[in-house]
Amino acid sequence: MECFTGLRDGEHDFVGLAESFARKTVQPMFEGDFPDGDPARVASILSKAFEVGLASSPDSRMPGYEYGIWGANPGDSGNRLSAILLSVIARTCSGIAMNLHSQGLASSIITASQRKLAHPPGRVAAALQEGYGLPGYLTLIDPAREGPEAVSTMARAHGSGYVISGNKSFVYGMSGTEAFVVFCRVEDGGWGCFLVPADTPGVQVTGISERTGLRSCGLFELSLKDVEIPADARLDEGDAASLVKRSVCLHWLGLSAIAAGNGQGALLAAKRYASERYQGGTLIENHPAVRKLVARSEARVETAFALLLKAAESLEDAGDCLRQCAIAKLTITELGFQAVTDCLQVFGGYGYMEDYRMEKRLRDAVVLKSAGGSGNALELFIFEVGREV
Amino acid sequence: MVNDAALAARIESLKVRNASANLDLFGRLLVDNREMTVWEHDTKLLPLGARIWRRNARRFAREFIRPDALKADASPTDYDPKPIIRKASRKGFQTLMLPLPVGTAFPGSYFLGSAALQLAVVAEEFAAESGGLALLLLAHHLGCAPMALSGHIPTVFRHLLPMYAKAILGRPEIMAFAITEPGAGSDVEETEGGACAHLVTTAKKRDKGFVINGRKCFISDGAIADKVTLYAKLDNEGIESWTCFLVEKGMKGFSVGRREHKMGQRAADASELILEDVFVPDTNVVGPLRSGWANNRNVLNYSRPVVGAMALGHARGAFERAVEFCRRTSLGTRRLIDCQDIQIELADMLIKLWTARAMVWHSCGQFRCYQSASAAAKVAASDISFEVCTRAMELMGDHGYLHGGLTESLWRDSRLTQIYEGTNQINRLAVVEHQWEAELSRMPA
Repeated sequence: MECFTGLRDGEHDFVGLAESFARKTVQPMFEGDFPDGDPARVASILSKAFEVGLASSPDSRMPGYEYGIWGANPGDSGNRLSAILLSVIARTCSGIAMNLHSQGLASSIITASQRKLAHPPGRVAAALQEGYGLPGYLTLIDPAREGPEAVSTMARAHGSGYVISGNKSFVYGMSGTEAFVVFCRVEDGGWGCFLVPADTPGVQVTGISERTGLRSCGLFELSLKDVEIPADARLDEGDAASLVKRSVCLHWLGLSAIAAGNGQGALLAAKRYASERYQGGTLIENHPAVRKLVARSEARVETAFALLLKAAESLEDAGDCLRQCAIAKLTITELGFQAVTDCLQVFGGYGYMEDYRMEKRLRDAVVLKSAGGSGNALELFIFEVGREV
Repeated sequence: MVNDAALAARIESLKVRNASANLDLFGRLLVDNREMTVWEHDTKLLPLGARIWRRNARRFAREFIRPDALKADASPTDYDPKPIIRKASRKGFQTLMLPLPVGTAFPGSYFLGSAALQLAVVAEEFAAESGGLALLLLAHHLGCAPMALSGHIPTVFRHLLPMYAKAILGRPEIMAFAITEPGAGSDVEETEGGACAHLVTTAKKRDKGFVINGRKCFISDGAIADKVTLYAKLDNEGIESWTCFLVEKGMKGFSVGRREHKMGQRAADASELILEDVFVPDTNVVGPLRSGWANNRNVLNYSRPVVGAMALGHARGAFERAVEFCRRTSLGTRRLIDCQDIQIELADMLIKLWTARAMVWHSCGQFRCYQSASAAAKVAASDISFEVCTRAMELMGDHGYLHGGLTESLWRDSRLTQIYEGTNQINRLAVVEHQWEAELSRMPA
């Protein structure tokens, strides 16, 4: 609680739950010699997250359906709370937070479609990105537009259902994801959104394990070769543009929340270390050089949270949420990254070693900058969407 | 980039290399239109000896370091460092602290430029391929430096020259440099910190030598070194009594402790050294007793430009790989490198690399490296390096953080250059200390 001022009524209990989960369930994964936490414990941590209702689900019988992260509870208060909960968990482990974000994002798309599923899948992930990165603004408006960012994954009507072909890249999700929410072009040129079970013939899921950070979250390449799915697997009512937009906004907001939480965790660790470690005959927190590093990080984390909450509240403003969330992603991931690297510096040589997990925070922070659209792409996006607004 | 063929032709004709044809002969001679990489341009600025080493080092790095880079980073404990050290020794890279004929540095560049210049150009080339393997090879020079810079002729003849002779003959010994202690990291790299440092490694005088007890940590190549230049205070004295000792593997009581798990530069170990009643003979004392503090500080003056050069190498390596990525990655029919926003990013990175190189080479501009220029070069190059590596990763989008492309490993490598050889905060204090009397504390005349 100490880390958040200005929580609203009703938010305290949820934040308390997330803090307790982070401390009692997530923190123990760092016991032992594991730079990214013990991978064998991730499954039980995620099961617990479902059990306590932090992990969202498209299944209305699950505890997290309504109030889990990006759950069905609509409105700006739900979005704001989800962003706060993600950042609380990311203070301890960004990878675990990324699992919950990915699950919540895909669940939210399914829930928003208001499609009643006879057998809702448990673990889901959203697949939007192709090739180099997320679609640019103009592609979001029109996935079939001629030009460099055209979407190549296609769904064609076939019998009473559809056949999907294409590839999706950099899909974050929980290990054991049962179904993917796949965004692709449909024959009339617009967006379609389909729920594709992972075990459908023609679906090939390849995990990517060798990467810099966020390693406790799964990362997949998705290959779809003539995948036949029934008509009721289509989640939109003829045009999935609003679902695409929601997906992009939530993704940027989630990554921003994790980056802010990661920065805050680094700041707390640096302050603690500076108040315990001696250099030059005095505590290192007494050195102005260290104070500058800590103070700069404090300012960055504070700014990041202010922007995060503003962007979270913009999600219900259909006209401006894309611009707000893009600005949040661009700025907060950078602020978080700078906070982490400055806090790592407080530790000196120990910051670079695995012991204090500052190096893990830095690895996670750099991935958060690049994942789902890096600075250069976001700058162009913000200009284009800003011109429209 | 331009669809209209006629307009494209006009634009082409307006480029300086074409438009300069309209100048008269003497005007044309004053325009440099050579198509040359920055690397070639910069190499031509160097004195002959450094130029030769720069070319040799790039060849060596591409032939021997590049193929080992990923496996040495991924599984450092399985990687056998001996073959690459032997190859580097045979090519003369491990004996660059001294000029020909006793070492392999070219005397012209060594005496007219700086003793560190040839090492710095080599460091950039090695580090552009792998931070870990570069450190593995270059930490040896740091271990040799206290002997070379002690000015103590008996030490040089007794220890350094025989070691260099062995290296040239293909039987290299590996040196390491040990100043950091568990309770004193930055303390031993800065004056005020040094005065208050809590040091435990202590040497007690015995008949014909000293007995040393204590611990050193984060020692690069500590686990594989045959010999270590190690600093200890004398019994019942402070850091003023610091003395440099040549401690050899196999001396009774000398052992290697924990090997640290680092974020990057993983091919080179960072190890703890444990000294339990280690007897070191008088002949292994480097320089006079109590000369260790000054010796240590001067070693840092010569090593910091080289660390700056390593940082520059990491950034250049990441930049080159980002350029390659932008060449082969397309958005539809258009290559990333043909997009103006990408070009601006790349230009920014190139400018920063140039800035860092200018600082590093400037700090090696005279025979004796001095504190403020060395520290400034290290700070500038390492800060630039981390920024350029980060931008290179970002430019590659999600592909940037995947292992296998070297960009992300160079990014991890680069972060250490802001910490070792004194954190960049400590190095800033070194700049202030050195320029204090001359220009900071006094009112201008």
